[in-house]
Amino acid sequence: MGTDEELIGRVGVGDQDALAELCRRYERPLYHFIARHTGGRDVEDLYQETWLRAVRAAPRFDPSRRFSTWVFQIAVNLCRDWHRRPPPEPVEPDDNLASTSDAPEARIDARRLLAALPEAQRTVLLLRYYHGLSEEEAAEVLGCPRGTVKSRLHAARERLGRFVESA
Amino acid sequence: MTGCEDALVAFLLDQVDAAAVDHIRTCPRCRAEQPVVRALAVRLAADPAPTPPPTLAPRVLTAAGPLLARNAQGAAWRAAWPAVARALAAALIPLPAILVFDVALVRAIYSLLGAVLPHGLSLYLVVNHAALLALLLTLTYGAVPFLAARQARLLLQDGYRHG
Ligand SMILES: [Zn+2]
Repeated sequence: MGTDEELIGRVGVGDQDALAELCRRYERPLYHFIARHTGGRDVEDLYQETWLRAVRAAPRFDPSRRFSTWVFQIAVNLCRDWHRRPPPEPVEPDDNLASTSDAPEARIDARRLLAALPEAQRTVLLLRYYHGLSEEEAAEVLGCPRGTVKSRLHAARERLGRFVESA
Repeated sequence: MTGCEDALVAFLLDQVDAAAVDHIRTCPRCRAEQPVVRALAVRLAADPAPTPPPTLAPRVLTAAGPLLARNAQGAAWRAAWPAVARALAAALIPLPAILVFDVALVRAIYSLLGAVLPHGLSLYLVVNHAALLALLLTLTYGAVPFLAARQARLLLQDGYRHG
Protein backbone atom coordinates (compact mmCIF):
# COMPACT_ATOMS: atom_id res chain seq x y z
CA MET A 1 0.00 0.00 0.00
CA GLY A 2 3.04 2.28 0.32
CA THR A 3 4.65 4.47 2.94
CA ASP A 4 2.70 7.08 4.88
CA GLU A 5 4.40 9.78 2.85
CA GLU A 6 3.40 8.14 -0.45
CA LEU A 7 -0.16 7.77 0.79
CA ILE A 8 -0.55 11.42 1.80
CA GLY A 9 0.87 12.33 -1.63
CA ARG A 10 -1.96 10.33 -3.17
CA VAL A 11 -4.49 12.01 -0.86
CA GLY A 12 -3.16 15.25 -2.35
CA VAL A 13 -4.46 14.16 -5.76
CA GLY A 14 -7.80 12.97 -4.35
CA ASP A 15 -7.24 9.26 -3.66
CA GLN A 16 -9.85 8.09 -1.14
CA ASP A 17 -8.32 4.62 -0.67
CA ALA A 18 -5.05 6.23 0.38
CA LEU A 19 -6.90 8.33 2.95
CA ALA A 20 -8.75 5.28 4.26
CA GLU A 21 -5.45 3.45 4.72
CA LEU A 22 -3.84 6.41 6.53
CA CYS A 23 -6.91 6.71 8.77
CA ARG A 24 -6.62 3.00 9.55
CA ARG A 25 -2.91 3.35 10.44
CA TYR A 26 -3.28 6.47 12.57
CA GLU A 27 -6.77 6.10 14.01
CA ARG A 28 -5.67 4.81 17.40
CA PRO A 29 -2.61 6.98 18.03
CA LEU A 30 -4.38 10.18 16.97
CA TYR A 31 -7.58 9.34 18.81
CA HIS A 32 -5.68 8.46 21.98
CA PHE A 33 -3.57 11.59 21.78
CA ILE A 34 -6.59 13.86 21.41
CA ALA A 35 -8.59 12.01 24.08
CA ARG A 36 -5.79 12.34 26.61
CA HIS A 37 -5.11 15.93 25.64
CA THR A 38 -8.67 17.13 26.10
CA GLY A 39 -9.59 14.77 28.90
CA GLY A 40 -12.04 12.99 26.60
CA ARG A 41 -14.01 16.04 25.50
CA ASP A 42 -14.80 16.82 21.83
CA VAL A 43 -12.50 13.98 20.78
CA GLU A 44 -14.44 12.90 17.69
CA ASP A 45 -14.82 16.44 16.37
CA LEU A 46 -11.13 17.21 16.87
CA TYR A 47 -10.14 13.88 15.35
CA GLN A 48 -12.25 14.55 12.26
CA GLU A 49 -10.96 18.10 11.96
CA THR A 50 -7.38 16.80 12.12
CA TRP A 51 -8.01 14.66 9.06
CA LEU A 52 -9.90 17.37 7.19
CA ARG A 53 -6.99 19.75 7.72
CA ALA A 54 -4.57 17.03 6.61
CA VAL A 55 -6.57 16.40 3.42
CA ARG A 56 -6.77 20.15 2.72
CA ALA A 57 -3.01 20.55 3.20
CA ALA A 58 -2.07 17.28 1.45
CA PRO A 59 -1.35 18.86 -1.99
CA ARG A 60 1.33 20.99 -0.29
CA PHE A 61 2.82 18.15 1.80
CA ASP A 62 6.62 18.19 1.65
CA PRO A 63 7.64 14.57 0.88
CA SER A 64 10.97 15.07 2.68
CA ARG A 65 9.03 15.36 5.95
CA ARG A 66 7.74 12.49 8.10
CA PHE A 67 3.97 12.12 7.84
CA SER A 68 3.67 11.03 11.48
CA THR A 69 5.18 14.25 12.87
CA TRP A 70 3.24 16.31 10.33
CA VAL A 71 -0.15 14.88 11.26
CA PHE A 72 0.61 15.07 14.99
CA GLN A 73 1.54 18.71 14.47
CA ILE A 74 -1.94 19.31 13.06
CA ALA A 75 -3.53 17.52 16.03
CA VAL A 76 -1.39 19.43 18.53
CA ASN A 77 -2.37 22.77 16.97
CA LEU A 78 -6.06 21.84 17.06
CA CYS A 79 -5.83 20.73 20.69
CA ARG A 80 -4.00 23.95 21.56
CA ASP A 81 -6.75 26.01 19.91
CA TRP A 82 -9.36 23.89 21.68
CA HIS A 83 -7.80 24.66 25.07
CA ARG A 84 -7.90 28.38 24.26
CA ARG A 85 -11.64 28.19 23.71
CA PRO A 86 -13.95 28.70 26.66
CA PRO A 87 -14.56 26.87 28.95
CA PRO A 88 -10.89 26.93 29.88
CA GLU A 89 -8.57 24.41 31.46
CA PRO A 90 -10.02 21.51 33.43
CA VAL A 91 -9.89 21.66 37.20
CA GLU A 92 -6.55 21.53 38.97
CA PRO A 93 -6.24 18.45 41.10
CA ASP A 94 -6.09 19.51 44.70
CA ASP A 95 -5.96 17.92 48.08
CA ASN A 96 -9.58 16.80 47.80
CA LEU A 97 -8.50 14.26 45.20
CA ALA A 98 -6.44 12.49 47.82
CA SER A 99 -9.35 11.92 50.14
CA THR A 100 -11.47 9.63 47.97
CA SER A 101 -9.76 6.33 48.69
CA ASP A 102 -7.04 4.75 50.72
CA ALA A 103 -5.37 3.03 47.78
CA PRO A 104 -2.82 5.50 46.35
CA GLU A 105 -3.36 4.27 42.76
CA ALA A 106 -7.04 5.13 42.97
CA ARG A 107 -6.53 8.60 44.37
CA ILE A 108 -5.01 10.22 41.32
CA ASP A 109 -5.51 8.50 37.99
CA ALA A 110 -3.68 9.35 34.80
CA ARG A 111 -6.48 11.54 33.48
CA ARG A 112 -6.39 13.75 36.55
CA LEU A 113 -2.63 13.88 36.46
CA LEU A 114 -2.64 14.97 32.82
CA ALA A 115 -5.33 17.56 33.54
CA ALA A 116 -3.09 19.01 36.22
CA LEU A 117 -0.43 19.92 33.67
CA PRO A 118 -0.32 23.13 31.67
CA GLU A 119 -1.17 22.45 28.03
CA ALA A 120 2.42 22.71 26.77
CA GLN A 121 3.79 20.28 29.35
CA ARG A 122 0.92 17.86 28.79
CA THR A 123 1.57 17.82 25.03
CA VAL A 124 5.23 16.98 25.54
CA LEU A 125 4.46 14.26 28.06
CA LEU A 126 1.85 12.69 25.77
CA LEU A 127 4.17 12.68 22.78
CA ARG A 128 7.16 11.37 24.70
CA TYR A 129 5.49 8.96 27.12
CA TYR A 130 2.44 7.57 25.32
CA HIS A 131 3.53 7.91 21.70
CA GLY A 132 7.21 7.14 22.09
CA LEU A 133 8.38 10.14 20.10
CA SER A 134 12.04 11.00 20.47
CA GLU A 135 13.07 14.38 21.80
CA GLU A 136 13.91 15.42 18.23
CA GLU A 137 10.56 14.25 16.84
CA ALA A 138 8.64 15.99 19.64
CA ALA A 139 10.58 19.18 18.91
CA GLU A 140 9.63 18.88 15.24
CA VAL A 141 5.95 18.37 16.07
CA LEU A 142 5.95 21.37 18.41
CA GLY A 143 8.15 23.54 16.22
CA CYS A 144 10.43 24.34 19.16
CA PRO A 145 14.06 23.60 20.13
CA ARG A 146 14.94 20.27 21.73
CA GLY A 147 15.91 22.13 24.89
CA THR A 148 12.33 23.34 25.27
CA VAL A 149 11.00 19.79 24.96
CA LYS A 150 13.48 18.68 27.60
CA SER A 151 12.67 21.48 30.04
CA ARG A 152 8.90 21.00 29.65
CA LEU A 153 9.26 17.30 30.33
CA HIS A 154 11.39 18.00 33.38
CA ALA A 155 8.79 20.44 34.64
CA ALA A 156 5.98 17.95 33.98
CA ARG A 157 7.83 15.18 35.79
CA GLU A 158 8.48 17.39 38.76
CA ARG A 159 4.93 18.70 38.96
CA LEU A 160 3.33 15.28 38.68
CA GLY A 161 5.84 13.84 41.11
CA ARG A 162 4.65 16.35 43.68
CA PHE A 163 1.01 15.35 43.09
CA VAL A 164 1.79 11.68 43.43
CA GLU A 165 3.86 12.31 46.52
CA SER A 166 1.12 14.33 48.17
CA ALA A 167 -1.53 11.74 47.34
CA MET B 1 21.03 19.14 38.73
CA THR B 2 20.41 18.51 35.01
CA GLY B 3 21.91 15.07 35.48
CA CYS B 4 19.24 14.31 38.05
CA GLU B 5 16.41 15.61 35.83
CA ASP B 6 17.63 13.68 32.79
CA ALA B 7 18.00 10.51 34.82
CA LEU B 8 14.55 10.79 36.42
CA VAL B 9 12.84 11.56 33.11
CA ALA B 10 14.64 8.65 31.47
CA PHE B 11 13.40 6.49 34.33
CA LEU B 12 9.84 7.76 33.84
CA LEU B 13 10.01 7.08 30.10
CA ASP B 14 11.60 3.68 30.72
CA GLN B 15 14.62 4.75 28.67
CA VAL B 16 17.37 4.39 31.25
CA ASP B 17 20.83 3.68 29.93
CA ALA B 18 23.87 2.53 31.93
CA ALA B 19 24.85 6.11 32.80
CA ALA B 20 21.38 6.88 34.17
CA VAL B 21 21.34 3.66 36.21
CA ASP B 22 24.74 4.55 37.67
CA HIS B 23 23.56 8.06 38.45
CA ILE B 24 20.34 7.00 40.14
CA ARG B 25 22.20 4.40 42.20
CA THR B 26 24.78 6.84 43.48
CA CYS B 27 22.78 10.09 43.74
CA PRO B 28 20.92 10.56 47.06
CA ARG B 29 18.34 12.90 45.53
CA CYS B 30 17.47 10.52 42.68
CA ARG B 31 17.33 7.54 45.03
CA ALA B 32 14.89 9.47 47.18
CA GLU B 33 12.73 10.46 44.18
CA GLN B 34 12.87 7.14 42.37
CA PRO B 35 9.82 5.59 44.14
CA VAL B 36 7.72 8.65 43.33
CA VAL B 37 8.67 8.50 39.66
CA ARG B 38 7.92 4.79 39.64
CA ALA B 39 4.49 5.44 41.18
CA LEU B 40 3.88 8.13 38.55
CA ALA B 41 4.89 5.78 35.73
CA VAL B 42 2.53 3.12 37.09
CA ARG B 43 -0.39 5.57 37.12
CA LEU B 44 0.34 6.87 33.63
CA ALA B 45 0.74 3.34 32.28
CA ALA B 46 -2.56 2.28 33.85
CA ASP B 47 -4.48 4.83 31.79
CA PRO B 48 -6.92 2.89 29.59
CA ALA B 49 -6.73 4.18 26.05
CA PRO B 50 -10.25 4.89 24.75
CA THR B 51 -11.36 2.85 21.76
CA PRO B 52 -12.41 4.92 18.73
CA PRO B 53 -16.05 4.24 17.82
CA PRO B 54 -16.44 2.14 14.63
CA THR B 55 -18.52 4.91 13.04
CA LEU B 56 -15.63 7.36 13.20
CA ALA B 57 -13.64 6.26 10.15
CA PRO B 58 -16.64 6.25 7.75
CA ARG B 59 -17.70 9.63 9.14
CA VAL B 60 -14.26 11.10 8.44
CA LEU B 61 -14.14 9.64 4.93
CA THR B 62 -17.59 11.04 4.13
CA ALA B 63 -16.67 14.47 5.45
CA ALA B 64 -13.41 14.42 3.47
CA GLY B 65 -15.20 13.57 0.19
CA PRO B 66 -15.61 17.14 -1.12
CA LEU B 67 -12.02 18.02 -0.13
CA LEU B 68 -10.69 14.95 -1.94
CA ALA B 69 -12.67 15.93 -5.04
CA ARG B 70 -11.14 19.40 -4.86
CA ASN B 71 -7.65 17.88 -4.54
CA ALA B 72 -8.33 15.70 -7.60
CA GLN B 73 -9.55 18.68 -9.60
CA GLY B 74 -6.53 20.77 -8.60
CA ALA B 75 -4.16 17.96 -9.55
CA ALA B 76 -5.88 17.49 -12.93
CA TRP B 77 -5.66 21.21 -13.66
CA ARG B 78 -1.98 21.20 -12.77
CA ALA B 79 -1.47 18.22 -15.07
CA ALA B 80 -3.54 19.75 -17.90
CA TRP B 81 -2.02 23.21 -17.77
CA PRO B 82 1.16 22.48 -19.84
CA ALA B 83 -0.94 21.02 -22.65
CA VAL B 84 -3.27 24.03 -22.64
CA ALA B 85 -0.32 26.43 -22.60
CA ARG B 86 1.25 24.60 -25.55
CA ALA B 87 -2.02 24.83 -27.50
CA LEU B 88 -2.26 28.58 -26.86
CA ALA B 89 1.38 29.13 -27.82
CA ALA B 90 1.00 27.08 -31.01
CA ALA B 91 -2.00 29.17 -32.01
CA LEU B 92 -0.32 32.50 -31.27
CA ILE B 93 3.07 31.87 -32.90
CA PRO B 94 1.88 32.21 -36.55
CA LEU B 95 -0.26 35.29 -35.77
CA PRO B 96 2.36 37.97 -36.74
CA ALA B 97 3.01 36.20 -40.06
CA ILE B 98 -0.73 36.00 -40.80
CA LEU B 99 -1.13 39.73 -40.04
CA VAL B 100 1.79 40.69 -42.29
CA PHE B 101 0.44 38.49 -45.10
CA ASP B 102 -3.09 39.92 -44.78
CA VAL B 103 -1.86 43.53 -44.85
CA ALA B 104 0.27 42.78 -47.92
CA LEU B 105 -2.69 41.07 -49.57
CA VAL B 106 -5.02 44.00 -48.94
CA ARG B 107 -2.44 46.43 -50.30
CA ALA B 108 -1.85 44.33 -53.42
CA ILE B 109 -5.59 44.06 -54.11
CA TYR B 110 -6.03 47.81 -53.58
CA SER B 111 -3.28 48.69 -56.09
CA LEU B 112 -4.60 46.09 -58.56
CA LEU B 113 -8.21 47.33 -58.36
CA GLY B 114 -7.04 50.98 -58.36
CA ALA B 115 -5.51 50.39 -61.79
CA VAL B 116 -8.77 49.22 -63.44
CA LEU B 117 -11.63 50.64 -61.32
CA PRO B 118 -12.64 54.13 -60.17
CA HIS B 119 -10.99 55.13 -56.89
CA GLY B 120 -14.16 55.09 -54.75
CA LEU B 121 -15.28 51.68 -55.94
CA SER B 122 -11.86 50.04 -55.46
CA LEU B 123 -11.62 51.55 -51.92
CA TYR B 124 -15.08 50.19 -51.10
CA LEU B 125 -14.17 46.68 -52.31
CA VAL B 126 -10.80 46.68 -50.49
CA VAL B 127 -12.35 47.87 -47.21
CA ASN B 128 -14.96 45.08 -47.52
CA HIS B 129 -12.22 42.54 -48.14
CA ALA B 130 -10.14 43.79 -45.20
CA ALA B 131 -13.21 43.69 -42.93
CA LEU B 132 -13.92 40.10 -43.96
CA LEU B 133 -10.32 39.07 -43.24
CA ALA B 134 -10.42 40.81 -39.85
CA LEU B 135 -13.71 39.05 -39.02
CA LEU B 136 -12.29 35.63 -39.94
CA LEU B 137 -9.17 36.28 -37.87
CA THR B 138 -11.20 37.43 -34.87
CA LEU B 139 -13.44 34.37 -35.06
CA THR B 140 -10.44 32.04 -35.34
CA TYR B 141 -8.53 33.49 -32.40
CA GLY B 142 -11.64 34.13 -30.35
CA ALA B 143 -12.23 30.39 -30.48
CA VAL B 144 -8.74 29.57 -29.13
CA PRO B 145 -9.54 30.09 -25.40
CA PHE B 146 -12.74 28.03 -25.75
CA LEU B 147 -10.89 25.22 -27.52
CA ALA B 148 -8.13 25.33 -24.90
CA ALA B 149 -10.68 25.15 -22.06
CA ARG B 150 -12.39 22.24 -23.80
CA GLN B 151 -9.03 20.51 -24.17
CA ALA B 152 -8.38 21.01 -20.43
CA ARG B 153 -11.83 19.63 -19.58
CA LEU B 154 -11.16 16.53 -21.69
CA LEU B 155 -7.80 16.01 -19.98
CA LEU B 156 -9.54 16.49 -16.63
CA GLN B 157 -12.11 13.79 -17.42
CA ASP B 158 -9.29 11.58 -18.66
CA GLY B 159 -7.50 12.16 -15.34
CA TYR B 160 -10.61 11.11 -13.39
CA ARG B 161 -10.98 7.95 -15.49
CA HIS B 162 -7.36 6.91 -14.95
CA GLY B 163 -6.92 8.37 -11.47
ZN1 LIG C 1 20.48 12.69 40.78
